Amino acid sequence: MNTPYPKAADHGLAACHTCGRVSPVTLGKCPRCGSHLHLRKPASIQNTLALMAAAAALYIPSHMLPIMTVSELGVVTTNTIIGGMMTFWRSGAYPIAIVIFTASILIPMLKIVALSWLCAAATGRVHPSPAALGKVYWFTELLGRWSMVDIFVVGILVSIVQLGNYMTITPGPGALAFAGVVMLTMFAAMSFEPRMLWDRLDELSSAPPSNDSATTPS
Amino acid sequence: MNDEPTSTPAATPEILRARRWNIVWVVPLVALLLGGWLLYRNFAAQGPVARVRFDTAEEIYAGKTEVRCRSVKVGIVKDVKLADDLKSVLVYLELAPASEGLLRRGTRFWVVKPRLSAAEISGLGTLIQGSYIELDPGPQDAEKWTLFKGRETPPATNRSVPGRRLTLTAEEAGSLSIGAPIYFRGFEVGRIEGRELAENGLKVTYNAFIKENYSHLVTENTRFWNTSGIDISANAEGVKLRTPSFQAMVSGGVSFGVTDGENPGNPATDGMSFTLFRDEDAARHSTFNPTVKFLLLFDQTVRGLTEKAPVEFRGITIGRVAQISFDLVAGADDPRIPVLIELDPSLVRPETAREMTKPDSVFFSEEVSKGLRAALKTGSLLTGALFVDLDYYPDAAPAKLEKAGDFTAFPTTSSGFAQLEAKLSAILDKIQAMPLEQTMADLAAAAAEAKTTIAESRSTLREIEATAAAARKTLEDPEFRELPADLRKSIAALEKSIASVGPDGAVQGDLLRTLDELRASLRSLKSVATTIDEKPNSLLFGRDSSGNPTPKAPRAAR
Repeated sequence: MNTPYPKAADHGLAACHTCGRVSPVTLGKCPRCGSHLHLRKPASIQNTLALMAAAAALYIPSHMLPIMTVSELGVVTTNTIIGGMMTFWRSGAYPIAIVIFTASILIPMLKIVALSWLCAAATGRVHPSPAALGKVYWFTELLGRWSMVDIFVVGILVSIVQLGNYMTITPGPGALAFAGVVMLTMFAAMSFEPRMLWDRLDELSSAPPSNDSATTPS
Repeated sequence: MNDEPTSTPAATPEILRARRWNIVWVVPLVALLLGGWLLYRNFAAQGPVARVRFDTAEEIYAGKTEVRCRSVKVGIVKDVKLADDLKSVLVYLELAPASEGLLRRGTRFWVVKPRLSAAEISGLGTLIQGSYIELDPGPQDAEKWTLFKGRETPPATNRSVPGRRLTLTAEEAGSLSIGAPIYFRGFEVGRIEGRELAENGLKVTYNAFIKENYSHLVTENTRFWNTSGIDISANAEGVKLRTPSFQAMVSGGVSFGVTDGENPGNPATDGMSFTLFRDEDAARHSTFNPTVKFLLLFDQTVRGLTEKAPVEFRGITIGRVAQISFDLVAGADDPRIPVLIELDPSLVRPETAREMTKPDSVFFSEEVSKGLRAALKTGSLLTGALFVDLDYYPDAAPAKLEKAGDFTAFPTTSSGFAQLEAKLSAILDKIQAMPLEQTMADLAAAAAEAKTTIAESRSTLREIEATAAAARKTLEDPEFRELPADLRKSIAALEKSIASVGPDGAVQGDLLRTLDELRASLRSLKSVATTIDEKPNSLLFGRDSSGNPTPKAPRAAR
């Protein structure tokens, strides 16, 4: 309220989630497309946290279980993500190993960590600078989609390499878990309401931290 | 739009407290459950791992070689490691989760690879497919087990195949090999599954398998014997050549049967142990059941008598020599040699084994009183082997069964060479008893007579000599020498007289003349005979009385 530039929310205005039209939130529904109007995404922190917890729960099996099973002339080999990366590393294919490590191991983990950190910042548990928050949020948005590369590779291999007895590739349970991880982190990133971060900053700058820090505007 | 924000600048937006439990928390719950289930399925529900020790990992590849039970894949080789002692390899087998029940104590593993031998050709399929490890599950009720000793050779039959499994014990392995057939009356009913040295190398133990259909043929009193190789026997009936089947000749074979007339007994059970006899005769002769032991005391040499030498009753083997030792009669200062024999009384008693009315001791003492004695006899003149012969000697000195130490002494009689010796000495005695001196005296008298006779004959000879001298004198007489000249003279005279008879002699001319006259008279006689022949009445009426004037006589004479 004391900010130099008033926010829309201060005037009871909300942008429609679907079509983007700015309307008074008291209307309840967007006059243009009929979607529900909210000042902020409802229960976004909780949703994000829940989805992230789910992603974290699947992260462990996704790396312990084989992601694909290659049977070549009766020789059956199962590969986990880490195992495959190690194989590439040992055989000297360092760039590929680094790509796999980054895309499959590091990025999902970083995303989970970053989103958690953002959630903590949104609820006022940590107090980073706005610039850092912005960088981290951009980072999560940017990197999220690249984790799907592994699943694409497995999907393509499975559908192409079906040569009967000579060579067959079948997806392992790890692929299912890993796809779950990637999708859940994407959903978590989508359900996160970045404006919450700036709301918190506004509160901090305007007034001393209040008791209703745990409350979530909706 | 413009009015509303101004009318309710900041108060109107209703700010709701987030519900503490949102439906979205189901997602991590589901994710947790899903992740947990995936992990559980992959690790906890993973199949059991068995460790199998093999001598060599030949044809075994980690991650490739399959584990099969009756050709159904039940697992895979996960890893192959050298054992700590470097003398064997440990093969880690990962079995399918449902196959946990296959790992029991007694489960057998072996590598199926191409095998080529005289007895069998197997596993040719693995030439192309690659070898695999065959699993033969142990008994149903056995405990779980994870460390196994792999077999180097496949067993002849799977344990899961129903049938009777027996143990055969033999003195030596002979030519019997694993997989050798077992015959009953020449019909193949089973196989030898395995063999090993037992009892510190003193015996060979075979694992025999009889098919379920024929398992009832094996009973408690069944005897097994080796039918390997070729059996040639020559006896009074000629030469007999017996050969088993070709396979049995190559890999050996076992036959079994119950001796004729013997009670077969109850059917055999799994794991029963039987003795494997060297050949059929040995099996047949093994039927005796030595229950009676006797001590024989011989006062002659027992050289040639060995342990297990037969004890015969009039040619029927009824027992064997158990021991020959002075230790049998403790402390006795007896030069006689103790020989312990064991007999099967049922072989010598006329009653059958089931209906023996009297105890054996009573039976034998009665027989001894009838003259039953033991004697050493020569079984073979070539080898000098002795055997103990029981027979009745009615004129033997009376004896009875006596107690000697721990045993019962059976009366013996010397026989064989010993008897021969006795007879020889009897002959010598007789010779000794003969009136030899008298004979000698007679002989001397006869010799004296002969001497006088010789002297007389000598004088006769002398006379003959004198006669010969007189004859020589006569021959040397000159008159006697002139005798040939006289004889020559006489011969010349004789020649002269003979010459007068010759062709130039006067006698010859006379003879020719006489013969001519004789011929003329014969001719006239012939004409007379012809006339009489043609006209017999001419004798009376003359020649011209016939109607035919043709004279025949001149023609005949011409």
